[in-house]
Amino acid sequence: MTPDANQNPPAQPLLEVKGLKMHFPVREGLFLRAKRSNRAVDGLDLSLATGETLGLVGESGCGKSTLGKCIVRLYRPSAGQILFQGRDLAHAKGAALKAQRRHLQMIFQDPVESLNARHTVADIVAEPLVIHGIGDAHSRQRKVRELLDRVGLPANAAERFPFEFSGGQRQRIGIARAIALGPRLIVCDEPVSALDVSIQSQVLNLLLELQHDLGLSYLFIAHNLAVVKHVSDRVAIMYLGKIVELADAEEIYRNPRHPYTRALISAIPEPDPLRSAHKQRIVLSGDVPSPINPPSGCAFHPRCPHATDRCKHEAPALRALASTEAAPGAATTASPHHLSCHYDL
Amino acid sequence: MALNPLTLRKLRRFRSIKSGYWSFLILAGLVVLSLGGELLVNNRPLVIRYEGRWFFPTYGANLPGTTFGYDYGYETDYRALAARFHAETAEAKTRTDAPPTARSRNWLVMPLVPFNPNENAAYEGVFKPAPPSWAGGPPGHWLGTDTTGRDIFARLFYGFRITILFALGFTALTYLIGIAVGCLMGYYGGVFDLIVQRAIEIWSNIPFLYIVIILFSVVPATFSIPMRITLLLLVMVLFSWTSMTYYMRTATYREKARDYTAAAVVLGAGPGRIIFYHILPNTISTLVTFMPFTIASAITAVTALDFLGFGLPPPSPSIGELLKQGTQSLTTAPWIVGSAFAALVSILILVTFIGEALREAFDPKKFTTYQ
Repeated sequence: MTPDANQNPPAQPLLEVKGLKMHFPVREGLFLRAKRSNRAVDGLDLSLATGETLGLVGESGCGKSTLGKCIVRLYRPSAGQILFQGRDLAHAKGAALKAQRRHLQMIFQDPVESLNARHTVADIVAEPLVIHGIGDAHSRQRKVRELLDRVGLPANAAERFPFEFSGGQRQRIGIARAIALGPRLIVCDEPVSALDVSIQSQVLNLLLELQHDLGLSYLFIAHNLAVVKHVSDRVAIMYLGKIVELADAEEIYRNPRHPYTRALISAIPEPDPLRSAHKQRIVLSGDVPSPINPPSGCAFHPRCPHATDRCKHEAPALRALASTEAAPGAATTASPHHLSCHYDL
Repeated sequence: MALNPLTLRKLRRFRSIKSGYWSFLILAGLVVLSLGGELLVNNRPLVIRYEGRWFFPTYGANLPGTTFGYDYGYETDYRALAARFHAETAEAKTRTDAPPTARSRNWLVMPLVPFNPNENAAYEGVFKPAPPSWAGGPPGHWLGTDTTGRDIFARLFYGFRITILFALGFTALTYLIGIAVGCLMGYYGGVFDLIVQRAIEIWSNIPFLYIVIILFSVVPATFSIPMRITLLLLVMVLFSWTSMTYYMRTATYREKARDYTAAAVVLGAGPGRIIFYHILPNTISTLVTFMPFTIASAITAVTALDFLGFGLPPPSPSIGELLKQGTQSLTTAPWIVGSAFAALVSILILVTFIGEALREAFDPKKFTTYQ
């Protein structure tokens, strides 16, 4: 475990995840005994400052959604701490957890699935207020209208049902629900990947606008690097349940250090044909290994072009690179570049 | 609260399926009529005017014969009373100075079918099945009488009422228990689900018929008929709720895994709110389509039990009991089995038409929640 993944500001971060593990038991055999487990998140540290957006990128199955669901406590983590505003959420329950949920919300990937088709938009957006006993029926109604206006939906949307809206509008309903309680942190689990490309930027801009106005922090989970670059202050790259690289958004795109990050970034389509001709594409061989049976040592070694014997036996820790190692010209406010690799490639 | 437009559309579609919609109207009408059955099929008059006094015996106390000048203390034979008043009117008209409108001061109005389902009308001094009135039988018995001289129409009518109420109560209770248990199994899952599932498998292998036979052979004779009917209902429910849990369990598992449930959890909703506000409304629409078929099977089951003699306690009117009598006297009184059979088939056809239409209207292939 790294001693500290903190950065500016030095004050206590809004969210601090320490050594988080989420192991799902794999039940098999006659008596369904859990002999093995799926290590979706396997000892992960990260921190998030107030007002910051941390992008979380990885292939499908790397555990990024699981991490998000652990943080909003849809899952109970197997081990580790989730310090949110200084309180450990990992083992909170009952009223203490419910009190924290006011400050910690989630936006889901699929806006069709995440809205109950049997309820009107007003019911859906007012539900957080009802659950937390805020206001009376009248003031809630007023609040719902405010929220709908805030996310750019017409006032007459309140009496309609989710299926009467388009995908982008439905995602706006989900966003209105998420900000109803005035949260401090919103976990965005691929909030735009189910939307049309033309709608994606509208929703992203809404999220940025809300962040600016309400002082929100986002944990922005995505597999689209271009989207993440657009919204994030810092970006964390996840591979098989662990963070392999973490740096400022600009820095990680300009100066990727981990072989996996390099492969991901080389896969971003280049719209300029003149430049794309020169672009070197790093193609990884093989598939993502199963998190049920992860490789020994560095989890990336079977696919890494630079792997050595050491990588097969020894798991690298996430370490902060000295600022001199960072690329010249990096932003002055840059937080340390973190890397989980034995070598400085 | 406004109905969800999806539900409205399903209901509109149900209305557009004519066979089901009309079956529903007819059956609902029959149920409503049968609830006030005492006003339609009864041996007590709706209203009596006797010596300047009013009587409404339908739902009232037993009026002894002495009330109307008879010399017996048991309940008045109102059909005889009607005949007497009729004779009085006839006599009034025969008086020489009588105006054409002259009639007796006393009169009464009998219901449409002036027979009680448990009343034995003896014709020619013996209890024997009388053929329907249109086939030469005694007047008033539209469908004839059964082997003990009871009016078949009255018995079918009240038999329908008991059976349909029994079936509705049975359906309500099995759904209540099945939905509750299935929902809890699906929601909590894990070891709880595993244990309850095994318990259900063991429970559903207990032979129902033997339990009914044994139970009713030990029930003390002091139990009243309503108590026995309730007991039979409870035993049937106790052995039938399990099949409902299978649907409910899987449906709950499915809905629980969907994101809107996760969203509710993140908002801080407790299990009660998630189950009743989120999961149940989304699972129940599929269960509604099973309901008519559950009702049909309950009607069949109670009729079969009656036929075997383990059903509703005598002398409760029931279709199964009529079928039993009818098959025993098939050659001498074919009208018994004929009308009982026709009644049973009509009820089942109505219920099945409703079920077919409901299933069609709720078919998710036509109306999905995803646009």
